[in-house]
Amino acid sequence: MTAETLAFAGVAVVLLASSLGVVLTPNLFHAVLYLAAALVATGVVFLLLDAPFLFGVQLLLYAGGVVTIVVFAIMLTERLVGTSIRQTSRYLVNGALLSAAVFVGVAGFLVQLPPAAPRPAWPGDLTVAVGRALVGPYAMPFELLGGLLVIALLGALYFARSEP
Amino acid sequence: MTARIGAANLALLVLALPFASFLLLALVRPLRRSAPAAATVSITAMALALAGAVLTRHGSVRRAATLSPSTTWSWIPADGGPMATVGVMVDELSMSMLLLVTLVSLLVQIYSWAYLHDEPRASLGRYYAYHSLFAFSMLGLVLSPTFLQMFVFWELVGLCSYLLIGFWYDRPAAARAAVKAFWITKLGDLGFVAGIVMLWSATGTFDFWALFTMGSMGTLPVEALTPIMFLIYLGAVGKSAQFPLHVWLPDAMEGPTPVSALIHAATMVTAGVFLVTRAFPLFRLAPDVLGLMAWVGAFTALLAASMACVEGDIKRVLAYSTISQLGYMMTAVGAGSPDAGFLHLLAHGVFKALLFLGAGIVIHVFHTNDVFRMGGLRRHSVVWLPFVVATLALAGVPPLPGFFTKEAILADVLEVRRFGPFVLLAVTAFLTAFYMFRVVFLAFFARPHGRAHREPHVPLAMTAVCWLLAALTLAHGLQLAGQAWLGGHHEDAAPGWLPWFSLALAAAGIGLAWAMYLRGAIAPARVAAALRPIDWMARRRYGLDAVFAGIYRGIVLAFARLVGWVDRYLVDGLLNGLSAWTLRAGDRLRGLQTGQPQDYVYGVALGALLLFVLAHWRVR
Amino acid sequence: MPLGAYLTLAALVFAIGLFGVLTRRNAVGILLGIELMLNAVNINLVAFARFHADLAGIVFTLFTISITVAEVAVGLAIVIVIFRVRRTVEADHLDLLRG
Repeated sequence: MTAETLAFAGVAVVLLASSLGVVLTPNLFHAVLYLAAALVATGVVFLLLDAPFLFGVQLLLYAGGVVTIVVFAIMLTERLVGTSIRQTSRYLVNGALLSAAVFVGVAGFLVQLPPAAPRPAWPGDLTVAVGRALVGPYAMPFELLGGLLVIALLGALYFARSEP
Repeated sequence: MTARIGAANLALLVLALPFASFLLLALVRPLRRSAPAAATVSITAMALALAGAVLTRHGSVRRAATLSPSTTWSWIPADGGPMATVGVMVDELSMSMLLLVTLVSLLVQIYSWAYLHDEPRASLGRYYAYHSLFAFSMLGLVLSPTFLQMFVFWELVGLCSYLLIGFWYDRPAAARAAVKAFWITKLGDLGFVAGIVMLWSATGTFDFWALFTMGSMGTLPVEALTPIMFLIYLGAVGKSAQFPLHVWLPDAMEGPTPVSALIHAATMVTAGVFLVTRAFPLFRLAPDVLGLMAWVGAFTALLAASMACVEGDIKRVLAYSTISQLGYMMTAVGAGSPDAGFLHLLAHGVFKALLFLGAGIVIHVFHTNDVFRMGGLRRHSVVWLPFVVATLALAGVPPLPGFFTKEAILADVLEVRRFGPFVLLAVTAFLTAFYMFRVVFLAFFARPHGRAHREPHVPLAMTAVCWLLAALTLAHGLQLAGQAWLGGHHEDAAPGWLPWFSLALAAAGIGLAWAMYLRGAIAPARVAAALRPIDWMARRRYGLDAVFAGIYRGIVLAFARLVGWVDRYLVDGLLNGLSAWTLRAGDRLRGLQTGQPQDYVYGVALGALLLFVLAHWRVR
Repeated sequence: MPLGAYLTLAALVFAIGLFGVLTRRNAVGILLGIELMLNAVNINLVAFARFHADLAGIVFTLFTISITVAEVAVGLAIVIVIFRVRRTVEADHLDLLRG
């Protein structure tokens, strides 16, 4: 049992538990907090996969940005409706069965994986490599992504503005 | 050579004139709607065509018999020469027919103008358009140098016959008669078309002249020719109203009387005789068919004559008489002398047209077709005289043409020792004289029935046409008499007693009619009682109409019902079922669109699962 | 840890997220489920990138995260609009597209 295995087991437990919390807790606000935990745990998984830069991005954008937006949204709607939103679930059994089936379907492929191969060497500093890639071969998609973000921002503003 | 090309061009012009008239009347609406204009166009075209026909006849020089009289152009191109050709064939036969068709067409069109004067203007335009089309088709038929072209025009004249019989299409009887004529002649045409196709596959050509040349050189497959010629003969049976396909012709009298005169007496019905005459060099190679033709022709002649004796409708009497005379012509061809048959055709064309046109005047005066309700016309007017001239010609009284042509046929039949047909024809000759004079005595000489017609007004055009035709008949008869008595043209074949025999037959028929219907010496009822079975059968047209009606009902109507059932329940059912099923399926499928996003996610997930399963299955 | 462990973890998170999407009634809850599924995909991408020593997976993950943020922003804006109009964010009640 190496340290890495221990770390993976720990973060996997945290990730799965918080994920289950997201989908099972009746309180929407708590669900968002569980989501934040799950996102952070995902970030730690990235860390385990030697991608510290992505860990940072995950924390900043997801755990920071998304969760903040969702909290805003919940609070806004709660303020409008005047009561705290209790969320309920429907067709739990059906959903569970189908989700399990999808997992089994994916797992069917996973068991066919070739036996564990060792991790290949990682080229130097990942952050530098990603930075070069973004301004090199991926420059065009990167710029388009910037455009997409601006458009999404404008769209969100348009939707959320109060009626004239 | 130049003369021949000239004759062909003239013949083409004769053909083109009525066609141009038809196109004008068919396409130019104001012309068709205005009856005088339509009649002028049509009659002018016909007059010019008649002039052209006369010029063709007189302008053509006699040429060596080995030269082809046809001028043809290729029609259906194929590897190794055209499959079929079109053109005109200008020889003695077609020129005579050209003259007859244009002459009778012209006179009938002039006569129609007066006869149908009370018709609505628009339908009169239609009438003349049909007439022009008919003239074109008939001329094309007689000028055809190939079987295929002849078949095309053959069907065209059949179409015109259908259109003109059904000219008063709002009368159920006329509409039914038109359909009947069309169907029954189609039965024969089936044989005709099958025959020419088989002929083509046996010889590779439709061309008359090529076929005749092959026949005279002995390169035709003679064994195969008998069934082929039999099938072609079937076409003539339908068109020329031979037994058992004669039933359409009496019903065709539902059409206007001038139409009956032109199409169902003088020209179209003789197309069958023309066909067997034209193709006689081929028929000669199939003696079995010729024998059949002679017997059927003679039997038809007698059968129709017997029916004419009991018929009361003047037009139907003439129709039966036409059938009977067509039987004569067919017997002549079957006896191997198409010339005699064709001469009778020409003579008959003129005097039978006159009979019908005269009957038209009689009907015009009495407003009825029933001879028993006529009578006394002799005292009022002399319009009956042309009719009587034609009757004498038909009955075979010299010096009128019917006497000579009939006698020639009888002589030829006797010469080839076909005694059975000879006896039948002789009896027919007697009956012909009898039933024709029965009509004459009843219509013109008997005491008038009902209210008397004081000097009935008959338009000049009608009487003039009748007089002209009567004069032509007389002139033709005198010409034939000159040939027979002075030229000694036919004397070598016929035994010396034959002219006296036929004269005696005619006299006996006339005498019997006189005794029965004018003198009253013999009561017709007693004769009918004595000949009870024949009378009973003849009045019922020997049950042949019933047989055809039964076949029609049995086959055609059953088939129609079957088709109707298939259409109503299978085709419609399929479509209705399909649309109902689509509607129901759509209703069911609507349920899938719940509008709930998560239900769609279920679908996506299930689809993904399906892909997983497929992928697993493929990997294995 | 071998690649299979990461992939299995990702598949589990994905299934949980799918379960959330399928069962939640609240539109915001559904969005949270979608976030979980996207995260699972990101884990897959990074794991493959690491074990194949290919930078493309990392870059793709970056893009995915950015696009997800945009999607959440727009999605929540829509939720708020729907709430304003219909006074509910229960997906059960939103069936205007019902056939």
